[in-house]
Amino acid sequence: MRSQERHTRKKFSGVLITLGLAVAACGGGSDSTSELADTAAPAQTPPPADTEPPADTEAPPETEAPANTEDSPERVISLSPTHTEIMFAIGAGDQLVAVDQFSNFPAEALELPNELSGFEPNIEEIAAFEPDLVLIGGDFTGLGDQLAELGIASWDGPAAATIEDTYAQIEQLGAATGRVGDAVEVVSSMQTQLEETLDAAPATEEPLKIYHEVDSTYFSADSTSFIGEVYSAFGLENIADRAEGDNFGFPQLNAEVIISSNPDLIFVPCGNFCTTTSDDVSARPGWDAIAAVQNGNVIEADEDIASRWGPRIVDYYTAVAAAIQQAAVAA
Amino acid sequence: MSGEQHDTRWFTAGGVFVLFAVVIGVSIGPAGPDWWRVPLELVNRLPLIDFETGVSDADWAIVWKVRMPRVVLGGLVGGMLSIAGASYQGVFRNPLVDPYLLGSAAGAGLGATIALTIGRDATSTWPIDPVPTIAFIFALATVMVTYTVGAAFGGSRSGVTLVLAGVAVVSFTSAMQTFILQRNVEVIREVFRWILGSLSRADWGDVWLVIPYVAVSTVVLLLHRRHLDVFRVGDEEAATLGVSVARTRLVIVIAATFGTAAVVSVSGLIGFVGLVVPHIVRMVAGAGYRRVLPLSLMGGAGFLILADVPGRMIARPAETPIGVVTAFIGAPFFLYLLRTRRIGA
Amino acid sequence: MSTLTLVDVGVKYSRRSASALTGHFDTVVSGEWLGLIGPNGAGKSSLLKAIVGLVGHTGEILMDGVALSSMSDRERAGRVAYVSQDPLIPDDMTAREYALLGRTPYIGYFGSPSRRDRMVVDDVLERLCLREFAHRMMGELSGGERQRIVLARALAQQAPILLLDEPTSALDIGHQQQALELVTELRRTEQLTIISALHDLTLAGTYTDRLTMLNQGSVVVSGSAEDVLTAERLGEIYHVCVTVEHDEGQVIVVPRRGFPA
Repeated sequence: MRSQERHTRKKFSGVLITLGLAVAACGGGSDSTSELADTAAPAQTPPPADTEPPADTEAPPETEAPANTEDSPERVISLSPTHTEIMFAIGAGDQLVAVDQFSNFPAEALELPNELSGFEPNIEEIAAFEPDLVLIGGDFTGLGDQLAELGIASWDGPAAATIEDTYAQIEQLGAATGRVGDAVEVVSSMQTQLEETLDAAPATEEPLKIYHEVDSTYFSADSTSFIGEVYSAFGLENIADRAEGDNFGFPQLNAEVIISSNPDLIFVPCGNFCTTTSDDVSARPGWDAIAAVQNGNVIEADEDIASRWGPRIVDYYTAVAAAIQQAAVAA
Repeated sequence: MSGEQHDTRWFTAGGVFVLFAVVIGVSIGPAGPDWWRVPLELVNRLPLIDFETGVSDADWAIVWKVRMPRVVLGGLVGGMLSIAGASYQGVFRNPLVDPYLLGSAAGAGLGATIALTIGRDATSTWPIDPVPTIAFIFALATVMVTYTVGAAFGGSRSGVTLVLAGVAVVSFTSAMQTFILQRNVEVIREVFRWILGSLSRADWGDVWLVIPYVAVSTVVLLLHRRHLDVFRVGDEEAATLGVSVARTRLVIVIAATFGTAAVVSVSGLIGFVGLVVPHIVRMVAGAGYRRVLPLSLMGGAGFLILADVPGRMIARPAETPIGVVTAFIGAPFFLYLLRTRRIGA
Repeated sequence: MSTLTLVDVGVKYSRRSASALTGHFDTVVSGEWLGLIGPNGAGKSSLLKAIVGLVGHTGEILMDGVALSSMSDRERAGRVAYVSQDPLIPDDMTAREYALLGRTPYIGYFGSPSRRDRMVVDDVLERLCLREFAHRMMGELSGGERQRIVLARALAQQAPILLLDEPTSALDIGHQQQALELVTELRRTEQLTIISALHDLTLAGTYTDRLTMLNQGSVVVSGSAEDVLTAERLGEIYHVCVTVEHDEGQVIVVPRRGFPA
C-alpha cells in the first residue's frame, strides 16, 4: 500500500515528463514560437515573433537584426537532437561545442562531447562549456531563465506542430548563427523535394488507412501530430483520428480497435536496437486479419527521423511515398 | 458430512462464477462483435452445433486471439494472487497481508527496471523478452533476502519478525529502483506501465509460460489447507499440536512466492486482489481454509477477469491499467475492512 | 503409561534476565497427578513450557527414558498435550473445528481428519457437556465455555501426558468441578500422567497426588498436600494470611482477613 502511493506520485511526474517527451519528440499542440533569453550580451538574433515563414518565395525571411558574422556565436550547445541536425544542415556544425546525449546525426555530431541531458539539464555542466548560445528543444524546466541569470543566451525551439514550424526554426537558427543564406537554401530545397515527392505519389481510389505505432503499448500519432501531418499530406486516413477526446496528438489505441480498423499500412518506429520489428508486429495474435499484415505492408520507419522535426523529415516523406507505392499495388 | 456437502456447493458456485466471468470478459470490448453475439458464437463453436450468429471471421479473431488469452491470463493471475494472499494471511495470521509482503513485487519491479536500463544492452540479443525473466529472478531473490534477514533475527520462529524484515527489504528495493530510474529518466514511462499492471499485451505465450508455476504453486498450497487452519491458533500452540512451524511456514511461503513471482513478472504489479478477495470469501463462506483457499483461487480469477473489462472500456480506446481499476475497487473495501474488523483478531 | 523424568532442568528467557527455573529434578511416575503451586513468576508456566518444547531449557526431560527434545514435533505432540494459560482462540472457528485441531498429530501431512478423529472429538465434547456448542463460533461463547473447549482439544489429543496451565481459571465453581472430575476420570481410564498449575490451593490439594511448591525458580518443597500446605509456609512464600483445615482427608486452605506477619 505504501509503495502503491509512492508509485502513484511517481506516475504523475512520469506522465508530466512523458508529455514533455511526447511534445518534444513528435510535435504537439504547442505554438512553435521561439524565444530568446538574453541579458547583458548585445542582441545578436531576431527578437521573438510570430513566425510567418515564406512558404513559396525565395526571399530571405524578415528579420530585424541582420546576422553579423563577427557577432555569430562560436560556442553553441544543442540540447536537442533535432536542432543538432539543423545546425549541421545549415553549415553551422563548426560552431557547436557540445550536444545532448541523443544527438546522433550526422556522424560529426558524435565527435562532439555528447553527454548532456536534454530532459534534466544540469546547469553546471552546461555552463562549464562556456557557451554563448544554448539551443533548447522545449524549455519545461525553466532552463532559459537559469541560463539568463548566468548571462548565457538561450533559444527555445519547442517541438514543431507542422512542417511550417520546422522551416521557421531552421530560418531562425540560420539568423542566430550567421548562416542566413544557408538556412534559406535548406528550406527551399526541402520544400522542393516535398513537392516532388507528393506529386509523384500514386493516388488510390479510396484513401489508404494508416496506423503509426509510437510504442508497443499501442500509443499512436494522429493527424494533429507532426508526424501525422506527413500522412495527411499524402491523403492517407489515419486510424488514430477515430479516438475521441484531446490526446495531444498521441491517443492510445488497443489491439481490438486496430484490428477492427484494418489499416493498409502500418509504420513501426525502429532505432539501432529495433525492439519491435515488423515481424513482431505481424506475429501479434489476431493481427493476421489486418490487410497491412497480410500484404506485407508493415514498414519499419526510422525512429529518430519520426520523432524529430528536422531536415531529414524529407526522407520520411520519401519512405511513406515508397510504402504507398507498394500498398497501392495490393489495394 | 454436511460440512462437505456445503463445500461441494460452494466450489460449484465458484466454478460457475469463473465461467460467467470468462464469458463476460470475452464478450465485452472496445471493438469487435456486439457483446450479445459472442456467447451465441461460443455456443456455435461447440461441435455438433451450427447456426448463424452474425460474427465475422475477423471479429472472431478479436474474440479468440486477442481477448481469450487476456481473459485466461487474467484468470491465472487473479487466482494465483488471491490464493497466495490467502495463504500469506493464514501463515502470518495477519488479515492485512498481501502476496507482495515479503518483497516479490518490489523485487520484480527492480528486476524490470534493471532489465530496461542497465541490462538493456546485454539482453538485446536474447530471443525472448528479458523483462519477465529478470523480474522473476529478482522477485525470488528478494524474498530469499527477506527470509534470510528475518531468520537472522529470529524470524523463522516469529511471523512478526518476518513481516518486519519484509517491510525493510521492500523499502530498500524500492529505493534502489527509484535511484536507477532517476538516472534513466527516459524509461520511466515504460517501467511504470509495467508496474501499474497490464493484461493488454497478453498472448498465449505468456499463458503457457505462467501455467506451470501457477499449477505447482496452487497444488502445494491447496495441499496445505489444513495446516493453515492449525496456524490460526498461533505459532506456539500449533507447535504443541505437532506442526513444524518454521518448516511448514517456509514451504507455504515458497510455494506462494513462486507462483506470485511468475505472474507478477508477466503482468506487472496488480494490487489489492491478493488482499481483498480472500476477505470477501471469508465473509461469504466462513474462515476455514479448507474453503477459503480454493474459493480464493476461483474468486480471484473471476474478479480479475471482470476487473479487466472496465480497464479496457472506460477510456477506450486507451487502456486504463488494471492496477488502477483494482485499486479503485480495493481501496474503499480496504477502508471498510479496517472499520469493521478488529486488527489482530 | 508414561513416566516423565526431569533432570536438572533450567529455563532462562534471555541472557540478561534471571533464570525462570533452576536445577529442577523430578520424576512424575505414570498415572501420577502432580500439582505445581507457587506465587506468580515462580516458574510454574516455564516448567510446563519447557516440557512441551515451547521454550529452550538446560538439562534433560525424558519420557520413559527417551528425551523429548529428540522427538519430532509430531511425535512429541502425540505424547504431550498442553493447555496454555492464555490460549489464542480465533473467533471465527466453530467449537468442533477447534477441538478437532487436537487430532493434528494423528492426521497425515496431506491428510484430512478421519471419521475416527471426529468420533474422538465428539466423544470428548459429549463428556464435557459441550455437544450443544459444537457448531457455534468460538467468538460467541462465554469465557468459561471457551476454556472447556480448549480442554476438550487437549483431551482429544489423547496424549499420555497432560499439562494444564490454569485450566479452570475462568470457570464457575460448578464447571470447575465438572472439568476437574472429568480429568480425574480420564486419568483413570486413559492412564494419563498429569502436571497442572493451579492457583486455587484447595483444589490443587484435592485433586492432585502430590504437590511441588516453587518459588523464584527453585523448589521449596515437594510432597503430599498435608505436608506442603501449612499456614506458616504459605504465609512465608505467598505473604498471605491463611488457616489450613483438614476435613476427611482433604486439605482446605482458608484465607483470613489481615496482613501476614
